[in-house]
Amino acid sequence: MNHLVLALISSDNPLPIPAPIGLLEILIVLTFILHIIFVNFTISLTAGAVGLEITGMMKKNSLFDKMAQICSFHASIHKSIAVVLGVGPLLIVSVLYTQYFYSSTILIGKAWMSLLILLIAAFLLLYIYKFTWVKFQTKKLLHLSIGLLAMLILFFVPLIFIVNVTSMLYPDRWGEANGFFESLFYYPQIWQRYLHFMLASLATGGFYMFVYFAYLKRKQKKLEQHEQALKLFGAKVGFWITITQLVTGFLLLFSFNTNIRMLYLGEDLLLTSLLIISIVLTVILCMLLYAAGYKDSANSFLASILVFMFVIGIMGWMRHELREAYLSPYLDEHPRTEERLESTLE
Amino acid sequence: MNFPSVDYTWFGNGTVIALIAIIHVIISHGVAIGTSVLVVSTEYRAMKRKNEALDQVAKTMLKWVLIITTTMGAMTGVGIWFSTTVIQPDSISSLLRIFFWAWVVEWGAFISEVIILIVYYYTWDKWKEGERKRKHIMLGVALSIASWVTMVIITGVLAAKLTPGRWIDTFSFWNAFLNPTYFPSLGFRMFLAIMLAISLVSFFIRWRIKDKALRTEVFRVFAFWGAIALPLTFITGLWYLWAIPTEAYNMIVWSTGMSEVIFKSLNILGFSILLIFLVWLVKSPKNVPWMLSIAVMFSSIGFIGEFEVVRESVRKPYIIYNYMYANGMLAKDEEELKKEGYLANATWAKEKEVTDNNMVEAGRDVFVGQCITCHTIDGWRDTRALATRMKGWDKEAIMSFIPNMHYAQVAMPPFMGTEEEIEALATYIVTELENDKEVTQK
Repeated sequence: MNHLVLALISSDNPLPIPAPIGLLEILIVLTFILHIIFVNFTISLTAGAVGLEITGMMKKNSLFDKMAQICSFHASIHKSIAVVLGVGPLLIVSVLYTQYFYSSTILIGKAWMSLLILLIAAFLLLYIYKFTWVKFQTKKLLHLSIGLLAMLILFFVPLIFIVNVTSMLYPDRWGEANGFFESLFYYPQIWQRYLHFMLASLATGGFYMFVYFAYLKRKQKKLEQHEQALKLFGAKVGFWITITQLVTGFLLLFSFNTNIRMLYLGEDLLLTSLLIISIVLTVILCMLLYAAGYKDSANSFLASILVFMFVIGIMGWMRHELREAYLSPYLDEHPRTEERLESTLE
Repeated sequence: MNFPSVDYTWFGNGTVIALIAIIHVIISHGVAIGTSVLVVSTEYRAMKRKNEALDQVAKTMLKWVLIITTTMGAMTGVGIWFSTTVIQPDSISSLLRIFFWAWVVEWGAFISEVIILIVYYYTWDKWKEGERKRKHIMLGVALSIASWVTMVIITGVLAAKLTPGRWIDTFSFWNAFLNPTYFPSLGFRMFLAIMLAISLVSFFIRWRIKDKALRTEVFRVFAFWGAIALPLTFITGLWYLWAIPTEAYNMIVWSTGMSEVIFKSLNILGFSILLIFLVWLVKSPKNVPWMLSIAVMFSSIGFIGEFEVVRESVRKPYIIYNYMYANGMLAKDEEELKKEGYLANATWAKEKEVTDNNMVEAGRDVFVGQCITCHTIDGWRDTRALATRMKGWDKEAIMSFIPNMHYAQVAMPPFMGTEEEIEALATYIVTELENDKEVTQK
């Protein structure tokens, strides 16, 4: 294990981690899932708004414009929730993986700090995009470019996060790392993760629109034409993109180090089971979304929510186990401060 | 150097943190907390007086609270954390471990705040009449309380950095949280938040609302809160000053970079503007001069900026009093590092020991590890730039200064390292100063 000696890992902070490690592991998985779902909504609903607005402009059909407006309204709400929900997992990852997460963050420090400017800009643009929807009906191109700019920023931002959480898994490569842009092509997994994440975002947004309007319809309301259209469109988007995820998931799996990949392919019972269950559930979800989108089946509503939650839950869990698998040799070598200091103070 | 480092060469690492923090404090105190109180009070008055136009003013104010807090407010809040992670990782990682559960509770308050804010705004025109309006106003009250709770929690963390009190001995969470300046600083911040909100919003009310009767109605709400908040800001401010350590108290004027006369004059002027403005609001809300509304806005921003700069500076040389220095070095490590050497213990230092051939490189590692949090070589802030502070110094002068600098300058932490490392650092600084001089001369 020669590379462990070379890795630039310092001793953990002398103050003890303030909660049992197992509890924090459960919390980080749960809080991260909550956060990332709203991030998914924000990205995909922004993309949906822009895409539908373009379609409306090209087909000169106000139906698409109304659908787009709904997407933009929901996007600007969910972005606020996404940000505030992100505080929890950021807090826990900082406490639990101090020796890794701080270094991987500082190595792309300026890109990390640029998130502030990028996200403030994107969020303000989202508000302008939403609040000027009616006012700018005669200045469509200007209005569209506002949404497009917000979307491009939101498509770029995940790369910064992905570089950070990926580089944190490769401490022995930190010594040669050189800033954010080079890191994009320096660490393995980055682009596979990006693809898998972006497609998951788009699918989740489609699923959200389906669930939202299916819920309204069940509650009492008769859906208007554009609402019904958005519901079916959402289910179809969810269906097609989730199908491609069966492929991109494997691309990601094959970007892992061989020893880690093999854990998912038979060597570790838990991880292998999780992978198989996730594939089975994804196939079931696709069937439900197909029924919802193409047959307008009302039965698939509750079942699809349930399966969706299981899929997301298992994905989040596997993601955590992946990090643990990569870091376990380093954690053995550079243990965390778990003991309380009281005894040494006496 | 437990971690890698980032160098904002010209701007200065400390300035990056300060800039983000000041913007955040203005928004979190003035907009999220203070303006929420003004919004719901205005909405209540509008309901009582059946004044639809006043109701719409409250809604417009809330729209801006929503836009500003969920963009700049939220992101600069996360930004303080981002910037300290990048620039002061040892300090923020310690604070997170001490106050982890406080932050978890704070997170809960944040989530409530954002969700209530969203519901409050988007139900404004739906919950309009009778019992529904009353419920809507209760949402506004809930928003004010949730915003205030975030302050109740974060103040524990911020106050503990200056006065950790018995935590140093007990390492107990509650000793750290309920530290000696907790209550005075909480009181001070909450009344200051209302004063700040009044000062920030008044200008826009004066500017945007043409109808004098309507403007008067809004200013009556502001006057009510101002009459409560201004005297209490003053009293809690005095209590706060009385509670901080004498060493810190003595550094207040110094930390602003002003002379005593200018410091006193500016503060008296700023306070007088606030007072005159408030009297005007109470006596003659119809005719508030717009110049005064601008002056009061700048005074209050000045005050909050000054407060943040002072609070961050008077803690020096510490970042967590008596525990960790401003550059992230632990007070307890001083003797050990003087014996063993700093570089040998710095994970990310490229040079692990000083030799005749690596003086400049090793010196740079020491500089990055112990100086860069506050200092630049030739950044824009003269007081932090060594090109200004050490102009004309030679290597020997620097070498004899470093071991004693913490006696000469109360804000400086002691140097932690061997004699050879002092020499390397001096060599690096002299080399950089020479380079800087050449560049300037060209």
